[in-house]
Amino acid sequence: MTPRQLSFDLPPNVALGPDDYFVSEANAHAYVMVTNPDGWADGKLALIGPKGSGKSHLSRVFQHLTGATVWKAGQIGATLDLPSCPIVIEDLEALQPQSEEPLFHLHNHLRAQRLPLLLTATTPPSRWSITLPDLASRMQAAPTVHIADPDDRLLSAVLMKHFADRQLTPKPALISYLAGRIERSFSAADDIVSALDKEALATGQPIGIKLAGRLLDNPSD
Amino acid sequence: MTTTMWGTIRETLKNSVGTGNFANWIEPLELVSVNEGVAQFTAPTSFFGNYVTQNYADQIIYHLNRNGAQVERLAFDVRPAANSARPAPVAAAPVRQSPASIDPSIPDATLDPRYTFENFVVGKPNELAHAAARRVAEGGPVTFNPLFLYGGVGLGKTHLMHAVAHEIRRRSPEKNVVYLSAEQFMYRFISALKDRKMIDFKQMFRSVDVLMVDDVQFIAGKDSTQEEFFHTFNALVESRKQIIISADRAPGEIKDLEDRIKSRLQCGLVVDLHPTDYELRVGILQTKAELYAEQFPGLQIDNGVLEFLAHKITTNVRVLEGALNRLFAMASLVGKPITLEMTQDCLADLLKSSERRVTIDEIQRKVAEHFNIRLSDLIGPKRLRAYARPRQVAMWLAKQLTNRSLPEIGRKFGGRDHTTVMHGVRRIDELSAADSQLSDELELLRRTLAS
Repeated sequence: MTPRQLSFDLPPNVALGPDDYFVSEANAHAYVMVTNPDGWADGKLALIGPKGSGKSHLSRVFQHLTGATVWKAGQIGATLDLPSCPIVIEDLEALQPQSEEPLFHLHNHLRAQRLPLLLTATTPPSRWSITLPDLASRMQAAPTVHIADPDDRLLSAVLMKHFADRQLTPKPALISYLAGRIERSFSAADDIVSALDKEALATGQPIGIKLAGRLLDNPSD
Repeated sequence: MTTTMWGTIRETLKNSVGTGNFANWIEPLELVSVNEGVAQFTAPTSFFGNYVTQNYADQIIYHLNRNGAQVERLAFDVRPAANSARPAPVAAAPVRQSPASIDPSIPDATLDPRYTFENFVVGKPNELAHAAARRVAEGGPVTFNPLFLYGGVGLGKTHLMHAVAHEIRRRSPEKNVVYLSAEQFMYRFISALKDRKMIDFKQMFRSVDVLMVDDVQFIAGKDSTQEEFFHTFNALVESRKQIIISADRAPGEIKDLEDRIKSRLQCGLVVDLHPTDYELRVGILQTKAELYAEQFPGLQIDNGVLEFLAHKITTNVRVLEGALNRLFAMASLVGKPITLEMTQDCLADLLKSSERRVTIDEIQRKVAEHFNIRLSDLIGPKRLRAYARPRQVAMWLAKQLTNRSLPEIGRKFGGRDHTTVMHGVRRIDELSAADSQLSDELELLRRTLAS
């Protein structure tokens, strides 16, 4: 057995600039809504999409547009200091029960100051497990916009972007090969690219259709 | 000239790189100019440029030169249209407001201009609260102090309080009306303690003519804030100044609130806002829809949609209005009238109790049933038109409604190859573009499967 090259699970250098955001049918609606905060009813918007669908990237685009501050829902503390710029809160499902009251006051503060509030999550607000009724009803009143599962063009672009984030430039044929064969979801695109990267490093095989075919046939490999 | 040249080159490239790659990478490019050996393109995102340079630059340069241009390399710009209107970020505003910077003379929260008495829809469940708020807003001698409004979330407490504030300011602009949430009261109190400005704080609150504190339940359990609130409250009552308080439950039922405060709160008029009934909900939706009609002229809303919403969304008015907001936002974005079907699609997450993904098996069963053929024939090897077309329809639906991979869909259809699935999907796309009956059928199937 040939020794395997050790591969480190280093996070790829993900490009999140507004110019790197690819707009297609599946995310066009979300893109239009997020980039026009003036049109949000009640000054807030819930951006809903599956894992890896580009919610964070889109909120970075929003941040670029408005100078917003981005917070993780899981990290909201019982702080009394209130912001004076637009706010993005990511991953609302991770909201801790003790953060509900601070978020409620933050929400009211932003409403009063007419500052936009962008929320991101994988499920719509009516599915979030918020126990504070005052907050729950305000969250449910937020207009929502969904990022759908990727269409063929977006899937190719997402695959390409995952390769580019890892500084890989596969042949175009590989992209169409993968796009026709993997599960059509954002996370599947991420998984196959990271599997290809790892496997190529470990075995020294070039990233191409041959390697991809082997990985797709034996996903547990 | 560049445009026509690029047009011919694109056609040539389409043949040499294949339609899939062409649609992904070449078609989105636009040739802007050729200058000093550099061909300038615009591309939708920045990695497009990198990618095309690495994979297709040689071919593109070759064809450009064959068409008479003198090109040595390619350059890419990100298309401004895709990311238009990008104003300079708001000047790095201080994220944290230091407590000292708050102007003590403007202590109240901003009032929402939409929350007026005119916009408040009165029905049986809220008529008493509305009448009491009106009575307070008209001024005159203070008859009940405090006015205590309570009710579940999203029933209109805040709306009534803002309306009272608007009305008093309109009638007697000289009066000092202060509206704030219990949270803000606490925040101000703590800031005053920190900055040793308690005297200012006391003076500020005791000089108001009308004090409104929203969601008073939030000071429960915060002892020193309660203490200060109690003193402010007493001082204002003694000087016969009107106080309006709201909470999510009756004074006696607020946990961790001192008994002396509870009894103080109960000594005025305590009114509750009941949950809405169907008639009130329809009334609210109609008022709101009329406001929207002014905002989005030309937007149509089908009969029965408002009634449907009032029937389905019973929890609270905030969610109900939010639902209508979403509908109007959606309709104005896609430029279509609001129909019952669109309502069901757009608000699926509110109307349905759980999220559920359609399976390929369900699709196959439904399609077989719809076309009146046996499931075994739909999946089986026979290639008669009567089976093949429904099979392609089922494949098309499986691609649209699930995220299963094409090879997996193929396997579910009697072990067919993924290229067969691709062909079926493409076939249905072509047919439905030309055949409106088929596209209606697909829509019907999609809807029944998704609901």
